[in-house]
Amino acid sequence: MPAANISALGATRKMLGFSRRRVEFERATVAELLRGLETLDGRSLYDNLVCEGRLRGDFAIVVNGLSLKSDQLNKPLQGGEEVVTMAILRHLHGG
Amino acid sequence: MCLHGCGILVQVRDGVALKIEGDPTNPDNLGKLCPKGNAGLARLYDSTRVLKPMKRTNPLKGPGVDPKWVDISWEEAYGIVARELGKVRADDPRKLLCAIGDFQRIVLWGWPAVFGSPNFFTSLGNYCGGSYHPVNGSVDGSFAAINDYDRCNYWIQIGSGDGFSSHLHLSGSAKRMADARMRGMRVVTLDPRMSVAAAKADEWIPTLPGTDRAFVLGMAHVLIHELKRFDRKFLRDRTNAPYLVQDDGYLLRDEEGRAMVWDTRLGASQPWNAVAPADIALEGAYEFAGKRVRTGFQVWADVLLDHTPERMSEICTVPAETMRRIAREFVEAAQIGATVEIEGKTYPFRPAALNYYRGSQSHANGLFDNLTYKLFNMLVGNIDVPGGHLGVPLDHRGFFIHEGDDGVLKPEPHQLHPAPAFKYPPDSTHLMEWFPIGFDAGQLNTETLLEPERFGLNYSPEAMMLYHSNPLWNLPETDKVEKIMARMKFVVAIDIQRTESTEWADVFLPDHTYLESYLLNCLEPPAVTGHSLRQPVVKPVGDTKDAYEILTEIAERLGFRDDWNDLLNIVCGFTANPKYLLDPEKRYGVEELWDRYGRSIYGDDKGLEWFKEHGHAVRYRTPEETYLPYGKLRIPFYFEFIQRVGADMKEKFEQVGLKNWPLDNYQPLPFWKNSQVIEDGKAGYQFYAITFKESLHTFADTVVMPWLSEVSEKETVHGGILVNPVTAEKLGIGTGTWIRLTSPAGSIEGQAQVVEGIHPEVFGVSNAITRHFVTNDRQKKKGSHFNRLLTGSMLYTDSATGGLESSARVRVERI
Repeated sequence: MPAANISALGATRKMLGFSRRRVEFERATVAELLRGLETLDGRSLYDNLVCEGRLRGDFAIVVNGLSLKSDQLNKPLQGGEEVVTMAILRHLHGG
Repeated sequence: MCLHGCGILVQVRDGVALKIEGDPTNPDNLGKLCPKGNAGLARLYDSTRVLKPMKRTNPLKGPGVDPKWVDISWEEAYGIVARELGKVRADDPRKLLCAIGDFQRIVLWGWPAVFGSPNFFTSLGNYCGGSYHPVNGSVDGSFAAINDYDRCNYWIQIGSGDGFSSHLHLSGSAKRMADARMRGMRVVTLDPRMSVAAAKADEWIPTLPGTDRAFVLGMAHVLIHELKRFDRKFLRDRTNAPYLVQDDGYLLRDEEGRAMVWDTRLGASQPWNAVAPADIALEGAYEFAGKRVRTGFQVWADVLLDHTPERMSEICTVPAETMRRIAREFVEAAQIGATVEIEGKTYPFRPAALNYYRGSQSHANGLFDNLTYKLFNMLVGNIDVPGGHLGVPLDHRGFFIHEGDDGVLKPEPHQLHPAPAFKYPPDSTHLMEWFPIGFDAGQLNTETLLEPERFGLNYSPEAMMLYHSNPLWNLPETDKVEKIMARMKFVVAIDIQRTESTEWADVFLPDHTYLESYLLNCLEPPAVTGHSLRQPVVKPVGDTKDAYEILTEIAERLGFRDDWNDLLNIVCGFTANPKYLLDPEKRYGVEELWDRYGRSIYGDDKGLEWFKEHGHAVRYRTPEETYLPYGKLRIPFYFEFIQRVGADMKEKFEQVGLKNWPLDNYQPLPFWKNSQVIEDGKAGYQFYAITFKESLHTFADTVVMPWLSEVSEKETVHGGILVNPVTAEKLGIGTGTWIRLTSPAGSIEGQAQVVEGIHPEVFGVSNAITRHFVTNDRQKKKGSHFNRLLTGSMLYTDSATGGLESSARVRVERI
């Protein structure tokens, strides 16, 4: 069964209760991977991060170093990917 | 001591640093150093440095009040800080106000965010980059910009010290500028004062502060309406200038949402990508469904119809004929239509460009200033091509390049933080939620913190962190800043030396100097890319610590070190290569952090040890990285998105019942518009006042360094408040006469210095004259604190970008 390495940062780490884990999956898209990840509140990570099929603006997902656009959750996974989930810190700023 | 991190070599004997020299192997600074770089030892060994943690024992706070510092242990210092900030965080983390001015270690800027506070401002960026960076990011995904030193032949310099005295990587840029002038490049400098850039130019054109845009708008009028010479092919094929605009300001789109252009062959509008380039109309007004549509280019051409040199001359005082002559010289030097082959690839060649920075665009209409200069460059097709005006990326990652709508590069006004979403009541005291295309308008704290109810703020900060920041010196309206700081129940300072602001702190945590600490630095590199290593050359002189270690320890004690690690994972870019991710459960030392950082970018074999041996990984940017790095994507000429954002903000403000918030600068194209400074002139403030800096100093921070202040003393321009002889005679002023400048915000006093090199309507105040809190006698009472003349309110703030007006109108009197 294919598997991806999940690294969860910040708020998503706290949702999932782990920071890094190898996760096997059957159906091979990012969306399905997120649906298979159960969070501490009993919902899936998908339900926490996705609204009306699009990634919420305050979260980001990086697959093999490339940040997904909000409508790219159906990106297929082959196995072996490095997937990073994170909350975007709205207050990270300055200039 | 500045942002850019030149490569240096340090002679050390018996553990003592003796001399600093430029690293000749580093292509960033080419072995050169500015005065600050040479004077680094004067900071390392400054006898007034804070070398141990201190706590205040005098509960009274105020200007000139002695804190009665006593040395304490790090353990006691951390204990106090954790206790006091812990109370704030438990109550409401927004109540921590953070002023951060360490522009080299910007990876640490996220600390307030993981604390939970939106209230981080630099107290500096709002002057320089408030409007500049958003426009660079919106045009080509760059962070800054500079003309092509290697290939430019005609360089117009407006309100900038680039290549002469300041801004991007000065040490190397000065060499590049000198080389360009030696090969014959002509420099024309527009500035109210005979700056270094003006003194060394072929021609200095004095103008009034904040009116540079009028000069350039006048020249744009000449190119379009008088000479009718501009790069039609560039504008048509490489920008959205041919896209059709309706009279409501929005682009004409088809049912599928595609922007339309006018097909000259069919005589009809068509989607932008359905017409052969040669058939696309760049100019003209047309009819669509009974309504007028014009190309974006035509809209600006129509705007410029009444921006004649004569009318613009009345605003900026530059003779109309000078505008015409410079415009003609510029377009001739641009060689429109020429190409050049570089490493086997053919590029457009436009060896004429207009460069600008703080002095010409740090004004209340700064958005229009920046847009004007970009559009003027676009008229000759010189953006990001050899010889022209080149984008400079934020760091080693290069331009922000994403395809946006209609084949146009996606505007990236925000590169240091995500675009803030509108919120009411606002979370941040500087109202970042109300500037969706702007930076942090830190100056607004002077209004919001004293009258929070006016802005809907439902809390007030009670604690402050000062991290290499001196808001009492850098923010406008010092009296108000004092009131704000007086309200703070607790202030912690992380700094190297005592300043006007740290004297209000309760605890002082002393940081290493750059000669005692680690950093891999790459920020705003103009001709090169890659990191230079900062590493300890001597053991710490005192009981000081690296700011990273300090912030990490506080995070640890407050229980958010895991989030701090995750924040660093994001800002250091470790998410792109997860094997370098910091474990949230583990604490990392500063060497481990930079070791991972180096390896994550350059590969496993280039960690900290590699950098210690080699010093840097800096190389020249390739032609592909430098010229047209976004390929076939167009860049915006008509900034519809700015208008759209403004309309969206208007709707949101109306929804929450805020009807008077200014939104008038959300315009798709620039034009002349009077600022409050012009209006102040009508109210009897007859003269202008400006401040300026030379290569000696950064942010007035270095003024306290004895070596540099000694050099400053020998320069006439730092000897007092500059005034032109003609004006001096009219006012009965001579060199040494004490005078008072009074603006709508406040007054300053100082001794006049009569010099030829300043516009007769302008008074100039060097940033090198003085500091109120002195650590050596050389700064005492030599001059004035210019920022007291400035106002931090929205009247003096660009309503779209939050950029601050940095000139003032003043009355002048002898005292």
